Amino acid sequence: MKSYLLDSLENLFQHLAVSHKMFEPQSIPGSEDLHWLPSPKGPTSRYGTSKQVLPLAPAKGFLFPERELLFRFDGQTFIETLPEVAPQVLFGLQSCDLCAIAYQDQFFRQDSYYLARRKATILVGFDCLTPCDGGFCSTVDAGPFVRDGSADLILHPKGNEWLLIPASEQGLNAIQTLNLPPAPAEWRAEREQQQAEVAKMFPTDSHIRTGIERINQATISAEQWQRLGLQCLTCSGCTSLCPTCSCFTTFDTKTEGESNTFVRERCWDSCLYEAFQRETSGHNPSKEAGERLQRYWFHKFSDHYVDEFGRYGCIGCGRCEETCPGGIGVHSIMRRLEKES
Amino acid sequence: MNLSMTPQPIHLVDQYDDGDHSRHYTFQLAQPTSEQIQPGQFFTLTLAGFGEAAFTYLTAPDEQGRFQALIRRAGVLTSQLFKTETGTLLGYRGPFGSGLWPIEEIKEKRVLLIAGGIGLPPLATAIEALLANGSDVGLIYGSRDYAGQVLKQERERWQQQMPMIETFDQAVGDQLSGTPLDHLDAINQQLGGEVEAVLTCGPEVMMQAVGRSFTDRWQSTDNIWLALERRMHCGIGLCGHCYLGSSYVCTDGPVYRWREFLKQQKVM
Repeated sequence: MKSYLLDSLENLFQHLAVSHKMFEPQSIPGSEDLHWLPSPKGPTSRYGTSKQVLPLAPAKGFLFPERELLFRFDGQTFIETLPEVAPQVLFGLQSCDLCAIAYQDQFFRQDSYYLARRKATILVGFDCLTPCDGGFCSTVDAGPFVRDGSADLILHPKGNEWLLIPASEQGLNAIQTLNLPPAPAEWRAEREQQQAEVAKMFPTDSHIRTGIERINQATISAEQWQRLGLQCLTCSGCTSLCPTCSCFTTFDTKTEGESNTFVRERCWDSCLYEAFQRETSGHNPSKEAGERLQRYWFHKFSDHYVDEFGRYGCIGCGRCEETCPGGIGVHSIMRRLEKES
Repeated sequence: MNLSMTPQPIHLVDQYDDGDHSRHYTFQLAQPTSEQIQPGQFFTLTLAGFGEAAFTYLTAPDEQGRFQALIRRAGVLTSQLFKTETGTLLGYRGPFGSGLWPIEEIKEKRVLLIAGGIGLPPLATAIEALLANGSDVGLIYGSRDYAGQVLKQERERWQQQMPMIETFDQAVGDQLSGTPLDHLDAINQQLGGEVEAVLTCGPEVMMQAVGRSFTDRWQSTDNIWLALERRMHCGIGLCGHCYLGSSYVCTDGPVYRWREFLKQQKVM
């Protein structure tokens, strides 16, 4: 696809805002963290600056909400309740979070609720020019520059201007009436070159590589998993913040005041919970904390899933490390696996 | 496979007690489908406001959409089901599962079915398919005690059609005691030769004992199959609850070849 020269992010943002609800990572008063929020007046001024900061939570909830209505029952009929989502733009996605959305696109490819939200969404990604704290996207092929096919529009800073790459039909259609000039021919090659340079700026990742190897060689004993598992407080912080985690449970709520009518919803669940696999009989295939922890990291780093998804389930954002109160986020656990091998 | 999370209406049309805390149900789909049910597949039942749970088909839906299931009262949903009157509208999703009883593969072999307690109903569709084919089949059914046995009418019929041994953990009088594996020689004798394939369903610890025992006997993990129970919230490979290694029991199972089960157990 052709690339374009964009002289002002403002122009692109306002153009998209005409027909879409805009969302951006923004700080809120009293907090340095970034949160995905509606942004009627954007864009914020952070783009293209050297220091990369990831939003506290990924954009997962836009497409797979923490709680979602599945159907309602009126006493006679079960009525599917697909979400009605107005066209929206997620503006300011980093490559890692885009790779997570691509992963979930694959996982939820036949889920009509996810698809209804996804079809209404345009993804605008930005190349990261520096590593963020704790990020290791380059180790797991999820960044630092936006991967082809993971975004609708890709933006890459060039001084005060931008290289704009439409990366999907939807992205191309969205900017068609902007009548942008083509980008200088050499910009695409320069971008490739710069990505290799940024990748070199990441700190050492030997513990991640060793950990992945050990998980795939299954050389970690049940005892070692159990020792690590004892540090899990089953808070579900990791699974909630992990951009690729997708486990859910369902629950019914009876309609107030009416008999025999109810709604069913689904909500995020966590494989780290003790009752995640517990059956009514009491039989629990993963009753030990170590077994559940092993499952979590197996699902993130096992080669078994690469055939289906084309990549690992971890996109290297490091959010689990930030949130885990037990000290068994990705860096901590991989360092332990490296040290205790 | 129907991938919708929204149930279809179904009516509870008949029910009778069949064993301790267990009941034999007949359901009727409001809109019968032409989709064929394969032996080993399962469905889910929704009770208004009480959630959804997975159960096994005892019989495949007929032309009127009628099918049977044997259900034990164990939790919130089944307790409510036991209070539910005949004629009530419920919700249905299914059929689910692609791991099936391997009828084609074993129908020419001498087949032993080993069931434990409430593990008998999931074997019923396999038993019927093998009997209909004229296969050489035998059943060992282990239960806690006499009251714990289910499928009384079916067993009375099967008794006329194939060798069958019933054994009890808490045997009384002249009842046979011990686990199903204690009676292999007897069933081999009744079948007129060494068993060549085994299908099992029951408590997982029992199924694993069966798997290990026949692996030792045959020095092979090929001709042993088991049907697994796992907690499930979707039936379509999305909710994540029923993982077994890198597989999901709802979509890859619920029936696994013993070799594949061992592989999935070791994969992590």
